[in-house]
Amino acid sequence: MLIFVGKRIGFMILTMVVVSILLFLLLELTPGNVATKVLGPYSSEEQRNLWLEAHGYFEPFYIRYFDWLGNFASGNFGDSVRFKVPVSEVLWPRLANTAILGIATFAVMIPLSLILGVLAGMREGSKTDRSISIVSIVTTSIPEFASAVFITAILVFWLKLLPGTSTMTYGFDIVQLILPAMVLIIYDFGYVTRMTRASMAEVMTTQYIRTAVLKGLPYRRVVMRHALRNALIAPFTVIMLQINWLLSGVIVVEFFFAYKGFGALLLEASLNKDIYLIEACAMVAVLVAVATQTIADIGYTYLNPRIRFS
Amino acid sequence: MSKKSKDKMHPYIPELVNKLRKGEVTRRDFLNTATLLGVSAGAAYAMAGLPAPGRKAHAAAKKGGNLRVSMNVKATDDPATFDWSEKGNVARHMTESLVRIGDDGVAQPVLAESWSASEDLKTWTFNLRKNATWSNGDAFGADDVIFNFRRWLDPKTGSSNQGRFSSMTTTSDTGNKDENGNAIMSTTEAGGALEKIDDHTVRFNLNNADLALPESMADYPALIVNRRFEDDGGDLIKNPVGTGPYTLKEFAIGEKATLVRRTDAPWWGGETYLDKISYIDHGDDPAAQVAALASDQVDTNYQTSIEQVGTIKNIADLEIYERVTAQTGVARMHVTAAPYDNKKLRQAIQACVDHDKMLKFVYRGRGGPAEDHHVAPVHPEYAELPKLKQDYDKAKKLLAEAGYADGIELRIDCVANPPWEQNACLALSEMVKPAGIDLKINIMPGGTYWDVWASTPFGFTAWTHRALGVQVLNLAYRSGVAWNETNYSNPEFDKTLDQAGGILDPNERRKVTRKLEEILQDDAIISQSLWRSVFVTANKRVKGLYAQVALEHHYNGVWLDG
Repeated sequence: MLIFVGKRIGFMILTMVVVSILLFLLLELTPGNVATKVLGPYSSEEQRNLWLEAHGYFEPFYIRYFDWLGNFASGNFGDSVRFKVPVSEVLWPRLANTAILGIATFAVMIPLSLILGVLAGMREGSKTDRSISIVSIVTTSIPEFASAVFITAILVFWLKLLPGTSTMTYGFDIVQLILPAMVLIIYDFGYVTRMTRASMAEVMTTQYIRTAVLKGLPYRRVVMRHALRNALIAPFTVIMLQINWLLSGVIVVEFFFAYKGFGALLLEASLNKDIYLIEACAMVAVLVAVATQTIADIGYTYLNPRIRFS
Repeated sequence: MSKKSKDKMHPYIPELVNKLRKGEVTRRDFLNTATLLGVSAGAAYAMAGLPAPGRKAHAAAKKGGNLRVSMNVKATDDPATFDWSEKGNVARHMTESLVRIGDDGVAQPVLAESWSASEDLKTWTFNLRKNATWSNGDAFGADDVIFNFRRWLDPKTGSSNQGRFSSMTTTSDTGNKDENGNAIMSTTEAGGALEKIDDHTVRFNLNNADLALPESMADYPALIVNRRFEDDGGDLIKNPVGTGPYTLKEFAIGEKATLVRRTDAPWWGGETYLDKISYIDHGDDPAAQVAALASDQVDTNYQTSIEQVGTIKNIADLEIYERVTAQTGVARMHVTAAPYDNKKLRQAIQACVDHDKMLKFVYRGRGGPAEDHHVAPVHPEYAELPKLKQDYDKAKKLLAEAGYADGIELRIDCVANPPWEQNACLALSEMVKPAGIDLKINIMPGGTYWDVWASTPFGFTAWTHRALGVQVLNLAYRSGVAWNETNYSNPEFDKTLDQAGGILDPNERRKVTRKLEEILQDDAIISQSLWRSVFVTANKRVKGLYAQVALEHHYNGVWLDG
């Protein structure tokens, strides 16, 4: 297992290097002058050139890249041109905010989708199955920006139950977390439910389950002890992938509710050609993607002992 | 009026009073000209037979509270290079200007206690407030003002104030050539332009008459910083030293800015009601601002978009303040870039526009139709020209004369937010189509658009309100100034603009402004969409608030009721 994890770390470092080079290249080729964004549209050509020179932008591409790489490896992520502070000062708090939103979303969404998926898959074609399937398909089909509008119209403007934005200006407020989490749950739970349902339905048709039922075991025991563990392999993969999706897929929700998270940060960094911030965000995204995949692979061996690292 | 005041009074004032009495000038023209010439607002109102304006103490006003304002929080480090009024709004409560424009559109003293002008309007003397102190303990004085002007006029600062105060600059050849072989010119402070008379008196010696000088000192990049600003790092956020009633407590770009009442020394202007002002950034989505207002997360906002006005009217706790302004949007062309260097083509575009329909479609009729010369009916020197009419036959003829008889494909760059700017481009695109012009619209996010704002051959730019028409003409259309986004250079226009700045009689000034309007209209460098009303929303508990014409925040007289 140590070899497996070591290989994954090696793969992750390689991916980070490739992604960082590609990003540097892409930002180099994208039109737009970073000095204009820092000094404002009315700055003079002379001022912009002075700024570019002072910040090393006249150095060749590869020298700037290796400078950044060396600094990054030593924990110095550079300064953000948009936020005018070191990247780490803005990156970690924003990442923590998205993690809080993600935990709140997953804490509700995973139990809900697993329960509904199992209930639907237990008796394929039943009324329960059809009802859950329809609800799942409908909620997943509505994009976040649309459900955010509907939910805000009802809970904020009509019933006046919840705050309409989630800036957390005066510190963490769990009430402000409800709307963005609700939108993410509504959008995502249907997908995981459908995957769980399909996996459960497949397991329920296998011979060993039929044997257990015919042997006279209580139905609940058949489901809980024999079917569930095998049925969870596919949803487990999907759930792990949702962590990746959440990291950047929350952009719409964070923008709509003015939630100061990682997705909104990535958007602002991109719009402002904030190269060091974009690079840092991308590295975090790669790290999370590889880490979740590694955890998923290790998790398979627990759920299905037949799977080996070799 | 005291004898001393009368002695210092500009010699034109008695004649102006006479004209008012005879009905030859309007009260608005009188107030505007008299205050610019240094008559205090109170005295000018009295001469016009009107009750004195200004901030009144409200018996019912309550002290204390935190005013929460929804507004983008942008980098606010150096007022000299401010390019958005939001930046000015955060800074203005800390560091102040010499002059401000009141709710009535009249110039009022702030850090300048009073001013007077010579008969030829080329020498201006400003008396500075003696009881203003900086939050670092320094006494405010002439050295601060001289330091700021010197910085603004230095091309290395890159301040738009260089254009605002062009009458204090001189332009010379650097001896270098650009890529096209043209001489590179440099504009710097004119010798002797700035003169310190004593610790609290400054004199400005101008190259040419400029009646708008006090008005220009009220613009948001003209906030006065401490004379040691650069030595202390040149960053107002890291070192928030100011003369204003509040100081900065918290600041995070894109998140929040919190100002709290100064405690080191009493503010020269007396007491303010609010303990705290909190700016909260809700991003670029106008819907988020409305949601925050509806759920009482904020008390007021920077601006309500026209699309949100209907929604807000249905929310009982909220009130909308509307103001007709000289805020506008212009589809401007680079007169030095092909094909826009062809005047006939520009005129053809202009001939396609129905300004009334444009206003109705783009801004639901809230504001006024524009006339392609950037002087608004609310400007005191506005002269009405014959109404522009949509004329496709004329447009086609002009297009043929321009060499595009078979039509032409063009592209306009515009910013994604606010939506009315896109809609103005969309309306323009539809209006030019019947003449054979296929106008594509390139909608860009703000961060990207501002990269190309100055260089794009055809782009749409929103302009804020300025008190005088000549102010905006000086900023945007005078040859070589920082904000000249059309590359327009017309010596006759510049000369006429100089002339307009030196005319005291409002009626005579209107005649010269008419000429300026005609020149701009004829040269067709802009297709101006509309004059727009601005809207500000506030919870009904917010008192003493109004929609300022340039969306400036002056919260010194605002309080919270409950």
